[in-house]
Amino acid sequence: MVESLRELHNGTIISKIRFIQIGKLLASSKPLCVGVIILFLFSVIAIFEPLINGVRLGGLQSSAIGYFPRLQMPSLNHPLGTDHFGRDVFAMLITGIKNSLIVGFLVGFVAISVALVVSLFAAYKGGAIDNLLNSFTNVILILPSWAIAAAAVAYIQRLDLTLVALIIASFAWAGPARQIRSQVLSLKSRPYIDLAKMVGERDSQIIFFEILPNILPYIIVGFSYAVIGGILAETGLRLIGLGAAEIMTLGLLVHIFMTSGLIIQGYYHFIIGPVISLILIFISLNLINIGLDELFNPRLKKVTGE
Amino acid sequence: MQKRLVAKYVAKRIVVYVLTMFIAFSVVFFFLRLIPGDPVLRYIQQVYERYAYRLPQTEEIIQEYRRTLGLDGDLFTQYIIYLRRVFLEFNLGPSFLDFPKPAQDLILRHLPWSIGLLAFSTLLAWLIGLVLGTLAGWRRDSKMGMFLYILSLSISQVPYYLLALVFVLVFAYLFPVFPARFAYSPTLTPSLNLEFISSIVYHAILPSLSFIAVATFGWLISTRAITITILGEDFLLFAQAKGLGRLRILNRYVLRNILLPQVTGLAMSLGFVVNGFFLIEWIFAYPGIGTLLGLAIGQLDYNTFQGIILISIFAVLTANLVIELLYPLVDPRVRTGG
Repeated sequence: MVESLRELHNGTIISKIRFIQIGKLLASSKPLCVGVIILFLFSVIAIFEPLINGVRLGGLQSSAIGYFPRLQMPSLNHPLGTDHFGRDVFAMLITGIKNSLIVGFLVGFVAISVALVVSLFAAYKGGAIDNLLNSFTNVILILPSWAIAAAAVAYIQRLDLTLVALIIASFAWAGPARQIRSQVLSLKSRPYIDLAKMVGERDSQIIFFEILPNILPYIIVGFSYAVIGGILAETGLRLIGLGAAEIMTLGLLVHIFMTSGLIIQGYYHFIIGPVISLILIFISLNLINIGLDELFNPRLKKVTGE
Repeated sequence: MQKRLVAKYVAKRIVVYVLTMFIAFSVVFFFLRLIPGDPVLRYIQQVYERYAYRLPQTEEIIQEYRRTLGLDGDLFTQYIIYLRRVFLEFNLGPSFLDFPKPAQDLILRHLPWSIGLLAFSTLLAWLIGLVLGTLAGWRRDSKMGMFLYILSLSISQVPYYLLALVFVLVFAYLFPVFPARFAYSPTLTPSLNLEFISSIVYHAILPSLSFIAVATFGWLISTRAITITILGEDFLLFAQAKGLGRLRILNRYVLRNILLPQVTGLAMSLGFVVNGFFLIEWIFAYPGIGTLLGLAIGQLDYNTFQGIILISIFAVLTANLVIELLYPLVDPRVRTGG
């Protein structure tokens, strides 16, 4: 009896895990497909940034001042022109894309890890600890987290990208944590979990092999929201003049061009690069979320009429 | 019986309110104290960097700064001082930006601008989103419904400040239709006449538009989803079977059910909204607490920015409480406890 139950049960796991066939998945949702392609292109730019800038600038940092003539209009040599310090704006842009993506993904990884630790076990076990952690999560959600992060960043003397990412992430985990918790709560009352308990699986087994694979889409969605939030928060810090000095990010580019007075003089093409890149990154991550939602939320699927 | 239930409901809400505020204030305290970096030493260093004036770093002066900021003694003592100041004396300590006036005076002077802009934009976005979302859900298979939905999906996640930047570039620099900065024309003196008020409205258009143009679509998506769920409910089928008119169904059966979750949603969203508004204000140099926060952080005015954080927490929680207390008026189930 127990053996046949176990077989039946394993069958359900395998059918649940089958969604990892990525190619099929991408083909089945247009938003997901487009989002992944855009993000992939940006990642390629980020990965090859040292190579591209190495060749174009001859081993110079993209932030190095006075290497080219100042304030050139776009040309073949300088696709986006040069700024008032004689820096190649295109080189600055791809360095900015790389560093902004690094911040975003760092925030995403830290936030989602904390969210899993806080919500996964507690929500499965329930009880006082779960209540406590849930209340704490709700408090974090109402905090003006960006303002607190800004205040914290202002006081740290030697900032680097990791530190900025950690400060932002210390609030970014709350949203995903609440999402994951509600999913775990709904999953743990499903019959197949009872079945797993009946065949004598340990709690840790149930959490890692029964629940975790099934909340994977929500984890990815939470992750990419945290990435968006991370890039957003870092760019915001840059706008008021905070952040790791000398490290080029998209936000720093916007800040430089907004405050240098170049816009009023008509050098609009400087600002277009970083703003469009930011918008495209947001749209791609958002499309990925929409696609995943469509695929794994059957109610929404019915709604969108597919 | 009824009265006792109401009293119980109100009491419970208020206890949760006070408790949440206490925890939130404590989180802010410990987060700002536990990051590496000493506010006083950092301030002295910044004065040196900016004005080439080296403050005498004697023990006395540093102590004086610490005392002014409430940063003397060990962490626990500081915590007690902080709680006493904030909860009992309602005093945030002296500000640097306008020394020696207390920080709360400075903040209260800027607060009305923020509240006005924020309340107006949030409510307008919420209302438009509600109407369009109901339409998009009600007619979800029509061209208009799909168009609204796809438009919302693409816009709703754009950060407010990015749109604000685009608006400044396009409508203030490229085609100078609207003013790029400030809440009213600097040539006017604040007074209650038509010219001044129209100047305020004129200056508020771009900042509020950069919020409304994004937030509306967020509300549209959630309202649409709720509408579609409701449209699938049995009671709606029953209402149709009874032969009720479409408008009556929309009004009595659909709208009331949308309103409940969306009122809660409005309360919950305020935290995010406040976060987003800081930067909109900063970009437009709007004289609200967002711009003040930027200035205070730039000058390392510890009491002022800590105060701004605390006051925005207080405002969000209080707005939440008010909405929750008004909730029974909208939802009969809460009223009777059934």
